[in-house]
Amino acid sequence: MTEFPEHVYVHVPLCVSKCGYCDFCSVVTSERLADTVVAALTVQASTLAPAGSCAHASTLYFGGGTPSVLGARLPRLVTAMRTVFGVAGEGAEVTVEANPDSMVPALAAALVPAGVTRVSLGVQSFDDSVLRVLGRPHDAGSAERAAGGVMATGALDLSIDLMCGVPGQDMRSWEESLVRAIDTGAAHVSVYPLTVEPGTPMDAQVLSGVLPAPDPDLAAEMMLTAERMLGAAGIVRYEVANFAVPGHESRHNSAYWTGRPYLAVGPAAHGMVAADDARLVGVSATAPAGAARLRYAYASDVQAWLDAPLAPPAEIEWLTADEAAREDAMLGLRLSAGIDPALASRAGVVGVLESLVGDGLLERADDRWRVTQRGWLLGNQVFGRVWAGE
Amino acid sequence: MTDPARIRNFSIIAHIDHGKSTLADRVLQLTHTIEDRDMVEQVLDSMDIERERGITIKSQAVRVLFTAADGIEYTFNLIDTPGHVDFTYEVSRSLAACEGVLLVVDAAQGVEAQTVANALMAMNANLEIIPVINKIDLPSADPERVRHEIEEALSIPADDAVLTSGKTGEGIREALQAVVDRVPAPIGDAGKPLKALIFDSYFDAYRGVVALIRVVDGSISAGTKIRMMATSTVTDVEEVGYRRPANVPVDELGVGEVGYLVTGLKDPSLVKVGDTVTLARHGSTEALPGYRDVKPMVYTGLFPIDGDQYPELRDALDRLRLNDPAIIYEPESSHALGFGFRCGFLGLLHMEIVKERLEREFDLDLLATAPSVEYRVTKTRGDVVTIHSPQDMPDAGSVDFMEEPYLKVTVLVPPEYVGAVMELTDGHRASFVNMQYLSNTTVDMHYEMPLSELIMDFFDQLKSRTKGYASLDYELIGYRRSELVKLDVLLAGKPVDALSFIVHRDKAYARGKMLTEKLREIIPRQMFEVPIQAAIGGRIIARETVRAMRKDVIAKCYGGDISRKRKLLEKQKKGKKRMKNLGTVEVPQEAFMAILKVDD
Ligand SMILES: Nc1nc2c(ncn2[C@@H]2O[C@H](COP(=O)(O)OP(=O)(O)OP(=O)(O)O)[C@@H](O)[C@H]2O)c(=O)[nH]1
Ligand code: SF4
Ligand SMILES: [Mg+2]
Repeated sequence: MTEFPEHVYVHVPLCVSKCGYCDFCSVVTSERLADTVVAALTVQASTLAPAGSCAHASTLYFGGGTPSVLGARLPRLVTAMRTVFGVAGEGAEVTVEANPDSMVPALAAALVPAGVTRVSLGVQSFDDSVLRVLGRPHDAGSAERAAGGVMATGALDLSIDLMCGVPGQDMRSWEESLVRAIDTGAAHVSVYPLTVEPGTPMDAQVLSGVLPAPDPDLAAEMMLTAERMLGAAGIVRYEVANFAVPGHESRHNSAYWTGRPYLAVGPAAHGMVAADDARLVGVSATAPAGAARLRYAYASDVQAWLDAPLAPPAEIEWLTADEAAREDAMLGLRLSAGIDPALASRAGVVGVLESLVGDGLLERADDRWRVTQRGWLLGNQVFGRVWAGE
Repeated sequence: MTDPARIRNFSIIAHIDHGKSTLADRVLQLTHTIEDRDMVEQVLDSMDIERERGITIKSQAVRVLFTAADGIEYTFNLIDTPGHVDFTYEVSRSLAACEGVLLVVDAAQGVEAQTVANALMAMNANLEIIPVINKIDLPSADPERVRHEIEEALSIPADDAVLTSGKTGEGIREALQAVVDRVPAPIGDAGKPLKALIFDSYFDAYRGVVALIRVVDGSISAGTKIRMMATSTVTDVEEVGYRRPANVPVDELGVGEVGYLVTGLKDPSLVKVGDTVTLARHGSTEALPGYRDVKPMVYTGLFPIDGDQYPELRDALDRLRLNDPAIIYEPESSHALGFGFRCGFLGLLHMEIVKERLEREFDLDLLATAPSVEYRVTKTRGDVVTIHSPQDMPDAGSVDFMEEPYLKVTVLVPPEYVGAVMELTDGHRASFVNMQYLSNTTVDMHYEMPLSELIMDFFDQLKSRTKGYASLDYELIGYRRSELVKLDVLLAGKPVDALSFIVHRDKAYARGKMLTEKLREIIPRQMFEVPIQAAIGGRIIARETVRAMRKDVIAKCYGGDISRKRKLLEKQKKGKKRMKNLGTVEVPQEAFMAILKVDD
């Protein structure tokens, strides 16, 4: 074993209801289902990292779905996972995602002793009409109360998710959401343009003309506005979609962008380990010649996963060292810090990067390759060409 | 070898969708050629494209054995033919192998344009015509009216028309009995040297060129040394047999028989459809009439998206031509698209099908440029050139005048849509000739119009404006002088030769404007702004702009799902690969066909 991954993602596939644009792995929760899910997650985690093993994870991330729908089960689950993966001490970062309707002040308070350090609140908008278009189960008022509850603990970092480019959302609504997000005292804000995924109820609404399709130009303006307003409040971009008061960046998410291995627990959860460590995550197939990295994911059908939480990953993908390097270069460019020349040449993409500089999407500064303002908006062009290596 | 007196060779002909292939299904079942459990709908439509589109593209010959009322077993060779106007040539070739036809007419739709056209072909070939009124199971079936229309439009007595349903099987036996009773047995001389017509052919990856033949005189068997008269190809026959529809080898094919012949030849150019097969030594000296060469109606450039595939495209065309002798091609080069072929087709559907067959059967990725017709240019010095491509258009200064092909167009339509047809033809430079009532449900309208207008979405428009009731037939009547100009298209300031087209001066401005608008919709936003201009002789007549792309980001990266992110990027890239990169601009393939969708 090269190194036991220091980062663990735990997927809680439950929500109070399904949002219209959602194509994430989640089902509507119930008391019984919540119990079953918690039990299955715990069982799966324990087999991944047998007690007393060398596990010393430094970040734990509970995503979803909506982990906060677990209510009082959530602090227990967190505690169990911290134990299993050896998360202890000062430096650990433990994040839970939450939705405003279930992140009641009592839950926030209970998370602190369980070792949670961050709460990522799925606010999306502080405009009720936008929330209705999205089919979110909460309103702006509950978002403010939930944020208040998290801040009141005095021990949790708050992150707020916001969405732009929502049909019917105008610039004024967007600016107001940004202001109110800043006013909560959040040290971290994520900004995502809405994508209408095929097969979602929202997709059907757009196709049938009930909803207008998102306007990409307006979404671009909104992203620029976000950068400007958040920046003015001291919340600066460190990744394509993530902004933080310096020192409050998510270390867990940063691991994704810097080629650090991470483990997955739960349905549809994705992990990445060195090819040599495949056995560690239950992949018994021998790595094909030249494989350096393994990406894997568990069954994305919640029931299928619950039926066999110890089943090996349902999807696996081997990457060669070259591919892994190109992937690292591509992911590294998501960060404001960009990538260093060593990675660029290891990935064999210096030529591509130069041509991207020519297109005004990248710049070379302080001996690093970085994405420009224009490049942030046209990220796919950058990432696509770097990954393709041409 | 079968006694010619017990042979009946016939084609099933009809307007598109009147039920030929379904009728053939029932014949195959009734004669136990195909057992019920192996039956699929329209079993003779064996190509994927045919099954997907639900239409017949290729004629299919199949041998069946039918026991007639007198208890005698007859050998039928039936040929299911296509009904679409673009494939008329396919029908005419099939007719040359037959003594009779079943003329199928839909009992609800009645006589339509290709009913008339195909019936006339059968008459000209002196074939026995048995009218069959089909789909009598339909609630809207009106056999009496249809009988009347057949008599009126075709002057064929229809009181003894057979009433059938390909759906229920009703009347099929009667139709086959009528074939026995009315279609003459083939006549030929078994004592004379071999004479057989090649009416179709195809390339088999293992066996090389296989010819479908109709024996007129003499006989042929494996080992026979044969000569093909037009190409002077000499070869030893590897195998003969008949189709059922799979190939069944036999020792010998004799007078009146239809079957296949494995030539053993690997070079497609050595075998020509329409040629006469005879013995290599002491053979016949007189060739069968064969087929007249077909004249393509539309021309388009076919270019491999990957320039390296040019040689493969050439081989593919050579082989496909065996199976579709109506294709014509010559090399063409384009600044924008590189090396390809200028190809002539019988119509737009034919073009589409050929492109698709080339792509599927030969694993090519092709781009087709805007279709054009054949123009005649008389130069100021008096010499005349024909051009198939806008790129070949001489300088305006050296042109005295130009001519374009004109058609006689027949539209059959219910009376209530006469106004709609008039309106449509008005917009397409058509001149009205006359009209006549075939019955109180069908009017026969005649026009003369330029072929170039017909290929401009005319057929689709006609269908949609008449709720699908109109049917259309046309034939070339010659060339007429016309005021024509070449319209160029510039993308990001650079002329794109593959997008230019020739258009009537009066329509140039409107078409140029609509084309640029259409292109703006089709060309996706790119990293930089793309101006689209239409120009005549250097003068810009229309301009649109594709604005630069502002935003291209993938939303939330969920829980470290990097694989999905990469796959999306790969998909995006694949989409781009399907596009043609013209300098700095990525152009989707359909842009080259946009001109067809521009209608005024
Ligand atoms: N109700 C009814 N439908 C029929 C009958 N015969 C054919 N059809 C339907 O009519 C459609 C066309 O039938 P085909 O047999 O493919 O017609 P075709 O004449 O071979 O068409 P092309 O080869 O494309 O010219 C199909 O949807 C058939 O199912 C019939 O006797 N009754
Ligand atoms: S809260 Fe998130 S995971 Fe749950 S339904 Fe809504 S979008 Fe999907
Ligand atoms: Mg058919």
